[in-house]
Amino acid sequence: MNLYLDAGILCALVVLLACPFSKWLARASWVTRSPRAAVALWHSVGMSATLATIGAGLCVASERFHAGFVGGVGELGEGVASGHPLQGLGLPDALGLTLAADVGVVLFSVVGVVILRTVLARARHRRLLNLLATPSQSRAGTLTLDHPSPVAYCLPGIRPRIVISSGTVGLLDQAELTAVIEHERGHAHERHGLVMLPMTGLTEPFRWIPYARLAPAEVAGLLEMAADDHAARRHDSTSLASALVAMSTSAAPPRCAFALASHDVNARVHRLLGPDRISRTAAATTGLLCAAALVAPLAVLFSS
Amino acid sequence: MAGLGELERRVMDVLWGSIGKPLTGREVADQIPDRAYTTVLTILDRLRRKNLVERSTEGKSHRFAANASRETYMAELMVEALGSVKDRRAVLVRFAAVVSAEEAVVLRQALEALPDEPGRKKP
Repeated sequence: MNLYLDAGILCALVVLLACPFSKWLARASWVTRSPRAAVALWHSVGMSATLATIGAGLCVASERFHAGFVGGVGELGEGVASGHPLQGLGLPDALGLTLAADVGVVLFSVVGVVILRTVLARARHRRLLNLLATPSQSRAGTLTLDHPSPVAYCLPGIRPRIVISSGTVGLLDQAELTAVIEHERGHAHERHGLVMLPMTGLTEPFRWIPYARLAPAEVAGLLEMAADDHAARRHDSTSLASALVAMSTSAAPPRCAFALASHDVNARVHRLLGPDRISRTAAATTGLLCAAALVAPLAVLFSS
Repeated sequence: MAGLGELERRVMDVLWGSIGKPLTGREVADQIPDRAYTTVLTILDRLRRKNLVERSTEGKSHRFAANASRETYMAELMVEALGSVKDRRAVLVRFAAVVSAEEAVVLRQALEALPDEPGRKKP
């Protein structure tokens, strides 16, 4: 019945998930054999750590009621509802409440602001595309941008836009071009822009947390692999791999370091050319880890 | 709504074709003969609200000009598309990042090691 003990277990779970587990997951190459499940796992780890932190704060704050977690939080809620939330509050209770409230408010406001900025930037990009890109006659559902740099991308949104520059059309042969468009359709179809949204903006304010540093880049890389799989199912993986090599080796020289991103390209090409791109075992294992990550904090909270 | 986007593009093309010389609504409409004058005015107003077109008043008539050149907007798109900005705000999902010269050699070798398939371009 000791909620302080539960709070300790939850804090240990947060540290475990955000530090060693995240580092391990970022290094685990087998998860790339089921990229979509791996993306779900990164999200589950983030949700579980957030839940556990808020839960730990609430545990500390409601220990004084000696009514277990559910009862204690209930009494805490009654105090808030009756207008005396701070009545009888000692130092540990206050600290616990502060932790729970701060994590909730800071996380959701910081991430919320970045999400809003991203959505606005996407809207501006879409407005400019409407003026500068023309719907392609030969490739249905894509926009052509008249520019010599080889670029191909998907602008997420309610109606995602797939943009191919004239430089790309000149660089790739027909099979490669089809593969690239299928890859972008994968992003559009599986709503990768939406999947990526909660991850955007985590890195900069929370650089000191391994999860926040690793998860956005890892999820972005895994989503590329998921889109590669979408294209490989409908087209062939060799064309996609050769398109990837052509595009990544011929674009204009970068102005800043791309060490991380180039590592992604390398991994993707070798994955596309390799024998075992997808594995059901990897998907099942990842799914189990997802469930375990989500159930762990809830089990601790509701067992007391 | 797709028709509106198409029309906005045509109006901007007219304004971009007359950089440094703002046009009256009538002059813009004259270059888009298949659309009514009032339609063109509506489009100009929409573009003005989107901050893409600015309006100046000379006596009784309004004149319209593009806020920035086509090249400026294109550059803005390409900065995001090529990802040469520092922030990884994930505005868009791009197909491939640029790799270093050494990595390019390794990647090409990986492709060349594959057995030849008909229809595949030799790297």
